[in-house]
Amino acid sequence: MSASAGSADLLIEGVGKRFGEVVALDHVSLQVAQGELLTILGPSGSGKTTLLKVVAGFETPDGGRVTVGGADITSLPPAKRDIGMVFQNYALFPHLSVAANVAFPLEMRNVAKPEIERRVGEALAMVELKGYEARLPRQLSGGQQQRVALARAIVFDPRLLLLDEPFGALDRKLRETMQLEVRRLQRRLGLTTIFITHDQEEALVLSDRIAVMNRGTIQQIATTTEIYERPANDFVADFVGESNIFHGTMSAPGTVTLDGGRALQVCSDKPAGTKVGVLMRPERFAGSGANAFTGEVIESVYLGTSFKLRLACEGGLELLVRQPARGALPAAGTKVTVGIDPESIHVF
Amino acid sequence: MDIKRLHRRHALSLLGGAAAVGAAGPAFAQAEPAKPAQLVVNHSGGSMGTAMRKAFFNGFEKKYGIKVVETSPVDFGKLRAMVDSGNVEWDLTEIGGQDAIRAGKANLLEKIDPKVVDRSKYPATAQNPYVFASSVYTTIIGFRNDVFKNGSQPKSWADWWDVKKFPGARSMRNHPTDNLEFALIADGVPKDKLYPIDFDRAFKKLDQIKPHITVWWSTGQQPAQLLLDKEVVLATGWNGRFYDIIKKGAPVGIEWNEGSLKQGSFAIPRGAKSPYWANKMLAELAVPQQQAVYASELGYPGLNLESLNFVDPKVKPFLPTAYLDQQFWVSDQWYAENGTKAAELWNAWMLKKG
Amino acid sequence: MTGRGFLPALPALILLFVFFLFPVVRMLGFSLEGGTLDWYAKALGEQLYLRVFWNTFEIALLVTFFCLLLGYPLGFLMATTTPFWATVGFIFVLLPLWTSVLVRTYAWMVLLGRNGVFNRTLMEAGIISDPIPLLHNFTGVLIGMVHVLLPYMVLPIYGAVRKVDPAIPAAAAGLGASSFSIFRRIYLPLTLNGIFAGSVLVFVLSLGFFITPALLGGGRVMMIAVLIEQQVREALNWPFAAALSAVLLVFTFAVYALAQRFTRTETESAR
Repeated sequence: MSASAGSADLLIEGVGKRFGEVVALDHVSLQVAQGELLTILGPSGSGKTTLLKVVAGFETPDGGRVTVGGADITSLPPAKRDIGMVFQNYALFPHLSVAANVAFPLEMRNVAKPEIERRVGEALAMVELKGYEARLPRQLSGGQQQRVALARAIVFDPRLLLLDEPFGALDRKLRETMQLEVRRLQRRLGLTTIFITHDQEEALVLSDRIAVMNRGTIQQIATTTEIYERPANDFVADFVGESNIFHGTMSAPGTVTLDGGRALQVCSDKPAGTKVGVLMRPERFAGSGANAFTGEVIESVYLGTSFKLRLACEGGLELLVRQPARGALPAAGTKVTVGIDPESIHVF
Repeated sequence: MDIKRLHRRHALSLLGGAAAVGAAGPAFAQAEPAKPAQLVVNHSGGSMGTAMRKAFFNGFEKKYGIKVVETSPVDFGKLRAMVDSGNVEWDLTEIGGQDAIRAGKANLLEKIDPKVVDRSKYPATAQNPYVFASSVYTTIIGFRNDVFKNGSQPKSWADWWDVKKFPGARSMRNHPTDNLEFALIADGVPKDKLYPIDFDRAFKKLDQIKPHITVWWSTGQQPAQLLLDKEVVLATGWNGRFYDIIKKGAPVGIEWNEGSLKQGSFAIPRGAKSPYWANKMLAELAVPQQQAVYASELGYPGLNLESLNFVDPKVKPFLPTAYLDQQFWVSDQWYAENGTKAAELWNAWMLKKG
Repeated sequence: MTGRGFLPALPALILLFVFFLFPVVRMLGFSLEGGTLDWYAKALGEQLYLRVFWNTFEIALLVTFFCLLLGYPLGFLMATTTPFWATVGFIFVLLPLWTSVLVRTYAWMVLLGRNGVFNRTLMEAGIISDPIPLLHNFTGVLIGMVHVLLPYMVLPIYGAVRKVDPAIPAAAAGLGASSFSIFRRIYLPLTLNGIFAGSVLVFVLSLGFFITPALLGGGRVMMIAVLIEQQVREALNWPFAAALSAVLLVFTFAVYALAQRFTRTETESAR
């Protein structure tokens, strides 16, 4: 889609990395288009941080290559890569003032003094930190520190921007504000950006596309909607969003017989006999539908806009269901019937 | 000057300590006092301790059933602090010659009991009432006999100063004692006219040798080690240290002429816990047969002149008592009075460039 | 100090008083015995003692300098290498502390003497024709003192470097800093406390040295501790020894205060 091969700005091709017995990256390939924000999403230990380090130059891959704008940077030292990076804990220079932190990459590039002053001013204005120039990092709040880190990463017009779980240390509200701010800034500057996170919600909010990683390989690269609606496998389906995942066999065109015996109407033209996975998102259930389930409530949670119910249905099926919060929260033990239409069921 | 100071200090401390000392004093004049569990003897340690244990301590322990506990090093400052504070850990301590004299005058020592310790066979000069002369040692010339072959070594201090006739790196002690005397002898002062020392004349003579001294040594094993490593070819040093490496086959010889004799001394600190048994130990140190064992071990003979009769004839040439006539006695008396001044002048002289 | 904060510290304070403060006060008392400042006048008035104070200061300064020169890279490497090599480094750095001063000194004699390993190797290789005098002089004293004091420099620096979050130099590299810039702009200011602690330790310990200078200096290198020891043990002039010690103590505190002030302004202005 948007990232066609021709407009690829960052290209990672067959990159591998082992640490002793552990395979951190197993022939990873991906491309990021000019101005695109690609999120690498995965649990800890999935290899996403190693991949980021390879791009930034802090790890040398065992094989494969990394190119930016067509130029091979695989063996360039970090200092020569022109990549802006925001670290997990910001890695601000604790002994330098805000202004000196932001000026640092410019000084390293021998930019003239007045020019440095101008650009530092601009960058700090962009992250709304005017007036904080003389402060030391420890005199700033977490959010302000992050803005400094961001200003420092963009002030020298880097070729790429790398964000390594930058919101992890912030409280929820601040995190949401910062996410939007980063998104706005990235769009405005047209910076090709890789964003690393293990938080699927954050990934959905920020990204153009998401690459889901697990055990050193990319499980799926796709737009946010595609990842959510049409995950490629169990792992992606389970990792991104809440899900009901079952396994079964196509018994007839448009029908899946689950391993427990229950038959489901689905929209799939996979030939009969194919082993398939079935994903039903909890919020896709309605009061009725082509596939009806009746079950006893074993757990119910009130979430403001919705109820979250766990139902024990016939045939040993257990369903997670979200319903609009209307009326009273069904108590445990209540019989409830829900339904889902074939087009809301994803078969993979 | 600092003797006076010591007197005054001691007078003050006596107010507190007199009772204890007085009680212990006359006790051993009558019946034999009870045996303590242990007797603490402080000495310089090292090979000397080993030899003392072999020659004296083992016998003492067997004879009296009193355990001999050895401590080291010898420390005059500590002795004074012990006596001043009334907490005297040592029953018997080795003590430097001039320190012994000063300590005796400063009332830091117990008198030696002539009824227990028989020194009738000792030279008259070695019968100080407070100080027991345990052994003789001498500072003499050690030389590499592979460099100075067939008796070609310097044989006098005049020779030592003659760097043209006897070239090679030299080492002397970093201390005024001995060196002042050697300089005067080299400058023509007769051995019996050294004291009082003429500082100006001595240092002027020392100026001449200073550039040729590679190492001014400060610990006793240094000269022997320096000769072994051929770091120097000539070194002044204590006879026992050279004897030790010669016994082990080092290519080193000793020139005894004009050596400076000193006595190793032991004394009983004032207020010692078991003064009677400390005297008994001194009596043990005075037995000629035991002194002979000690001398063969270290090359330091005792002053009981009978002890030479019990020494292996092969060892005799390495004992300073065989060369007493060619050597001179360092005056502890003079140093007790002038030691501080000598040390200050020496330090200032060492600091002078050149 | 609040009442609650004071109580747990009490044993330490008593210990400090009994084993540190009391002896120091006692020593100062000695130096003023007789109610005169005569001994101070002697300590500060006679050329011999001034010269030796100056020598001592000079040696301590040089030893500190060389310890820093060797200790910083060493501490830095140990803090940034693998645990295995860090352990190897520790063993080698700490070894002199576990060895007696005599053994250590004789080891240096074997290595650095006229006929020592070092000179023999160079002579056999034809690089020099006469042995280089490395012992029994100022050089020998410096080598011996730097050797034994190096751990006191390496350990604080090691600690300071370890405390730097590795993401910080990595960030600097990512922002375009060369290795030298990372050292100068990042590590140096961030480890200044370690440098200060190590330097003060080494300097102050140097001031009190006397066995090593006596053995490796050939008697030519005189430090104040030697004279103090002479006064205590040989001359038994304790008031004078106390006065010399007091001068040394005051001098040490002055250096400490000065160094601390210097590093503080340094940290603040290191933008």
